[in-house]
Amino acid sequence: LRRQRVEVNIELRKAKKDEQILKRRSISFSLMDESVSLGEEKRNEIIQLSLEEIVEAVNGSDTELQLQATQATRRMLSRQKDPPINQILELGIIPRLVEFLTHADNAPLQFEAAWALTNIASGTSDHTKAVVEGGAIPAFISLLSSQHMHISEQSVWALGNIAGDGPLYRDALINCNVIPPLLALVSPVTPVGFLRNITWTLSNLCRNKNPYPPLDAVKKVLPVLVCLMEHEDKDIISDSCWAVSYLTDGSNDRIQIVVDTGILPRLVELMASPELIIMTPALRAIGNVVTGTDEQTQAAIDAGVLAVLPHLLRHAKPTVQKEAAWTLSNIAAGPCQQIQQLITSGLLPPLMELLDKGDFKAQKEGVWAVANFTTGGTVEQVVELVQSGVLKPLLNLLLAKDSKTILVILDTISNFFLAAEKLGETERLCLLVEELGGLEKIEALQTHDNNMVYRAALSIIEKYFSGE
Amino acid sequence: MELSDANLQTLTEYLKKTLDPDPAIRRPAEKFLESVEGSQNYPLLLLTLLEKSQENVIKVCASVTFKNYIKRNWRIVGILVEDEPNKICESDRIAIKANIVPLMLSSPEQIQKQLSDAISIIGREDFPQKWPDLLTEMVNRFQSGDFHVINGVLRTAHSLFKRYRHEFKSNELWTEIKLVLDAFALPLTNLFKATIELCSTHANDASALKVLFSSLILIAKLFYSLNFQDLPEFFEDNMETWMTNFHSLLTLDNKLLQTDDEEEAGLLELLKSQICDNAALYAQKYDEEFQPYLPRFVTAIWNLLVTTGQEVKYDLLVSNAIQFLASVCERPHYKHLFEDQNTLTSICEKVIVPNMEFRAADEEAFEDNSEEYIRRDLEGSDIDTRRRAACDLVRGLCKFFEGPVTGIFSGYVNSMLQEYAKNPSVNWKHKDAAIYLVTSLASKAQTQKHGITQANELVNLTEFFVNHIQPDLKSASVNEFPVLKADGIKYIMIFRNQVPKEQLLVSIPLLINHLQAESIVVHTYAAHALERLFTMRGTNNTTLITAAEMAPFVEVLLTNLFKALTLPGSSENEYIMKAIMRSFSLLQESIIPYIPSVITQLTQKLLAVSKNPSKPHFNHYMFESICLSIRITCKANPDAVGSFEEALFMVFTEILQNDVQEFIPYVFQVMSLLLEMHKNEIPSSYMALFPHLLQPVLWERTGNIPPLVRLLQAYLERGANTIASAAADKIPGLLGVFQKLIASKANDHQGFYLLNSIIEHMPPESVDQYRKQIFILLFQRLQNSKTTKFIKSFLVFINLYCIKYGALALQEIFDSIQPKMFGMVLEKIIIPEIQKVSGQVEKKICAVGITKILTECPPMMDTEYTKLWTPLLQALIGLFELPEDDTIPDEEHFIDIEDTPGYQTAFSQLAFAGKKEHDPVGQMVNNPRIHLAQSLHKLSTACPGRVPSMLSTSLNAEALQYLQGYLQAASVTLL
Repeated sequence: LRRQRVEVNIELRKAKKDEQILKRRSISFSLMDESVSLGEEKRNEIIQLSLEEIVEAVNGSDTELQLQATQATRRMLSRQKDPPINQILELGIIPRLVEFLTHADNAPLQFEAAWALTNIASGTSDHTKAVVEGGAIPAFISLLSSQHMHISEQSVWALGNIAGDGPLYRDALINCNVIPPLLALVSPVTPVGFLRNITWTLSNLCRNKNPYPPLDAVKKVLPVLVCLMEHEDKDIISDSCWAVSYLTDGSNDRIQIVVDTGILPRLVELMASPELIIMTPALRAIGNVVTGTDEQTQAAIDAGVLAVLPHLLRHAKPTVQKEAAWTLSNIAAGPCQQIQQLITSGLLPPLMELLDKGDFKAQKEGVWAVANFTTGGTVEQVVELVQSGVLKPLLNLLLAKDSKTILVILDTISNFFLAAEKLGETERLCLLVEELGGLEKIEALQTHDNNMVYRAALSIIEKYFSGE
Repeated sequence: MELSDANLQTLTEYLKKTLDPDPAIRRPAEKFLESVEGSQNYPLLLLTLLEKSQENVIKVCASVTFKNYIKRNWRIVGILVEDEPNKICESDRIAIKANIVPLMLSSPEQIQKQLSDAISIIGREDFPQKWPDLLTEMVNRFQSGDFHVINGVLRTAHSLFKRYRHEFKSNELWTEIKLVLDAFALPLTNLFKATIELCSTHANDASALKVLFSSLILIAKLFYSLNFQDLPEFFEDNMETWMTNFHSLLTLDNKLLQTDDEEEAGLLELLKSQICDNAALYAQKYDEEFQPYLPRFVTAIWNLLVTTGQEVKYDLLVSNAIQFLASVCERPHYKHLFEDQNTLTSICEKVIVPNMEFRAADEEAFEDNSEEYIRRDLEGSDIDTRRRAACDLVRGLCKFFEGPVTGIFSGYVNSMLQEYAKNPSVNWKHKDAAIYLVTSLASKAQTQKHGITQANELVNLTEFFVNHIQPDLKSASVNEFPVLKADGIKYIMIFRNQVPKEQLLVSIPLLINHLQAESIVVHTYAAHALERLFTMRGTNNTTLITAAEMAPFVEVLLTNLFKALTLPGSSENEYIMKAIMRSFSLLQESIIPYIPSVITQLTQKLLAVSKNPSKPHFNHYMFESICLSIRITCKANPDAVGSFEEALFMVFTEILQNDVQEFIPYVFQVMSLLLEMHKNEIPSSYMALFPHLLQPVLWERTGNIPPLVRLLQAYLERGANTIASAAADKIPGLLGVFQKLIASKANDHQGFYLLNSIIEHMPPESVDQYRKQIFILLFQRLQNSKTTKFIKSFLVFINLYCIKYGALALQEIFDSIQPKMFGMVLEKIIIPEIQKVSGQVEKKICAVGITKILTECPPMMDTEYTKLWTPLLQALIGLFELPEDDTIPDEEHFIDIEDTPGYQTAFSQLAFAGKKEHDPVGQMVNNPRIHLAQSLHKLSTACPGRVPSMLSTSLNAEALQYLQGYLQAASVTLL
């Protein structure tokens, strides 16, 4: 049984720290960028304007004051700590800032407005909403083709924040045809920093489910992502891997589109990268692929995933172990030929280590891997699994503080017994389970508060351990 | 019912009566309350009473009644169960939910507990959707400052949330938890902090501290529930607050909270054990986030262990604390916390060894509560004991430090043995601890035996056995140092697979000798050890220890076993009785000389325990032993059956007359066994009992049905002629039993067992007049409810009938019920369903029966039935060659189906009363495939040309190929 990434939509945990950032704010670093953006003079230090003055200036017609006020706004929004997004929002100047984006004759104003709006859009959903409702989407899209690279880059950033808000705005952008001008910015001469921004925005356009991004958009973006993945910059590789990981996090036909690009070997290669920021999304992408059909899983196997997994199963970082074990569990859910490949590639020893000493989240996935293995494997394969020493760590995990894991283990034990029955080795397995301290744990589970757990335990005891 | 004073008064009176010790008063009152509980306002009347009644006893009684009423009725079962209507009307439900929380909080503790339980039952159904204000209502009380109220809220919250600890992750569950966290986590945290502050301001006020610590315990429990499924964001953000405070509570002590009680854990202990659990939860599940705090907890818990006393009241705390260390020390990244040699030595010395010691409380249990002691020690129900926790810690440490740990303990074992040697009578506990260490450490090596060779042994098991175990068991007095004797015997039991056989043989007389020990534990262990040794398997699947090797000890073994049953406290000792059974089974005919005395003692025992059967295992092994005596003796001398009947029937009659329900199924089984031993006609004593066996009342109890059917089958097998001649008037009664069984989906296969025996054994003329009626009954049942199980049994029956009475008779009886019925049965039942028949004998019966229909039934050749001939043959070949069809229609999965009903009565609760598989076709047909070929050949000689033409027209190619194989094997050809 292959398990999709998300079983429960509700999260109790903190948002994952190792996931890609949804929205980013562009922050000014001290005064350095002042001199860059304003050029020469340090004139009158920084112009301090009150909020009232800002509103007045922005709404006024003096372009010099407009620029000063917009800049002051942007500066407030760019400070390291506690940007006053709400206060700015309440000023009601967003439509006006959006309007400034269209002032093609005043590039500095366009830029400052774009920056300010980027940072507003980097806030909460309500903040992004205010920017979008101010009409920013078409304005930013047309600025993609601005002749000033820094304006175009700022627009990419702003659009990334809007896309990152969720499927609704993502699709609004796609419907406004954001993709062609965005892709047009990718060229061999695009500076790396700019290209990072583009890749990140592209990844946000691929992100989120319910609904997925439209198919034709995906088909347009994918070839570019495939190219970007070959780049030498690690951020660019990372973000393009994230994009692919989103595209594969779905139904089998979505996975197929990615498989068809022939990108799997590269992804597997990146899974082996020493850079965590590259390996993480690559592993996620491959993990998603093997939730697909037997053929799709085979494509990942052919790309060499089994050679990379042992290392990842032993990785120091718990989340990596977990993700690798999840991937393995889905490969183990395949037909016995795939299980055989898994054995031949030497996956059993690292799996045993993980069950024995891994992080709990990873152990849970490891238990699934064993369960799937015993469901789909031939009797000979199951024997091999037992011989590799699975029983001891598996039985120890009956002490896990997680009912589902316990139930899966009990089901797995039943599978072992079914195999033993076929071989006439039931008695030996009973002995082994007892010697490894499994029997007493199963007996103790007969008083477990979870009905299904206690019934599963009871049924094993009755079937195999009650006779004389 | 109105909410009137009159009704309150009535209710008060009835409640009072339910407390009356006289059942004549109590029962009607209970009945009355039950009869009115469906009325509107009934629950509200109870709530009014528990709040306002003048009498405290009525208040409490009303609260209990209310709780039970809620428990029975609150849950609205789905529409499917129509006979369980909703007994609580909506307005009452609303009123209860609106009032119960404040009512609970303002009630005294005794009532508060009942109402709190009721709230959690209601909450389980209604919370959160149908009871949205519950949480806010509870949280608001946190501010009250009244800790009586606060504890009420916490207790209720605990009963509502504790299910988070065992339920499966699901969207529904997590949505609820999220809701609870949003409303509850922050107030709970604030309450936690405030309570801890109050603890220090009230540090000198004992009664305030008690209340505050009760709150802290509940808060710590709530923490566990709320953090169980996953680490909530809130608690991750507030880990510092919680863990710092938990840590300081672990190290806190306050004289005012120390209790004098040695047994019962005090508040401090309860709180600390819960904190250990909380820390263990985090260490196991949220290791990454918890890592910064963990070393502190390891140190604190370790110090706690070193400073905690030996009293029983600390057991839970100590075992939780040790379990925490055990789970942490086997994690690779905490290895360094334990690595230092001094640390290891100190853990072994100060934590493990002291907790392995035999304590005063253990000694007490050993002497005065031996049953419980044995259960804990032998059957491993010692999960929460200190010794067990200490063992787990040893195993955990061995994961990384096997060498050093083994080294440290070897030293300990030696020094403890030396201490013992200096002065055994004073230092015997040292030896006990040494043996315990060896047992717990070496059994780890035992698990490694499979696969890896024993890399690192603490001691040489056999040497230890010879040098330290045997001397104790060889000592002249069996009653000296009973604990050490028990240890030694247990050692033999545990290492029976490791110790060489010759050493086991040396031990056997020692064990037999210890059956005489006065200590219950010692003689029980001796019996158990013998029983275990006797079940060990050697090569060729024979027993390791042979009857010949036991020959010199038979008499003393039997004598001591039966004597042990007379020792005080062991009159119904199941271990001894099991050892008796096992000895009989091993010794076989060498027990025959002792049977007269044995059977006398067993019947006396039987008579004694039948007055009040209370030990099911003991009773079971006793009946097994009786069966074994009968079997073994009668195998050598069939005529001996009479003497058994003589010895047993008196007691059996008494059991039947007194209706000792527990024993009646056993009695029937033993009687079946005895009856089957008779080679000639059935004795008159049995015939006298026959009419009684048909009494409907006996058949009411489901436990009686399998053994009774088995017994009636034995009657039919041995005495069919006698029944036909001397008890023909009982045949309708017999068929009545059949009719009753056949009507039940659960028991219909039993009915078929009986029917098959009737068909097989009764002289045909004696049942002639009933035959048609039998078939009609079967058809009625088929029409009413056709289950797979019934069909399978039905197919076996009609084929058996066909074999017994001939194919023509089968066809005629069907067609006499209704014209063309036979064809319908063939077409609609036999052909499509025959693949479902399971069991070797059953399949053979069907094969032979169908062969007869094909080859010995003229209407199959020249009527409209002819078109079914080839399909029937095809189905038969399918029965031979295709895998069994074991699919069961979905709607049948809920029927309580006995595992494998077959032709044989599968029921044989007594293993040694079981009978051999009976094959009614027997030698008549050896190989049914060859039989088919020969029969077809015979048919084709009778009407040349017909058979090949029928085959060639419609038998499919594969089947034809199989058939040709049969013909070749039988060396016949079809004409």
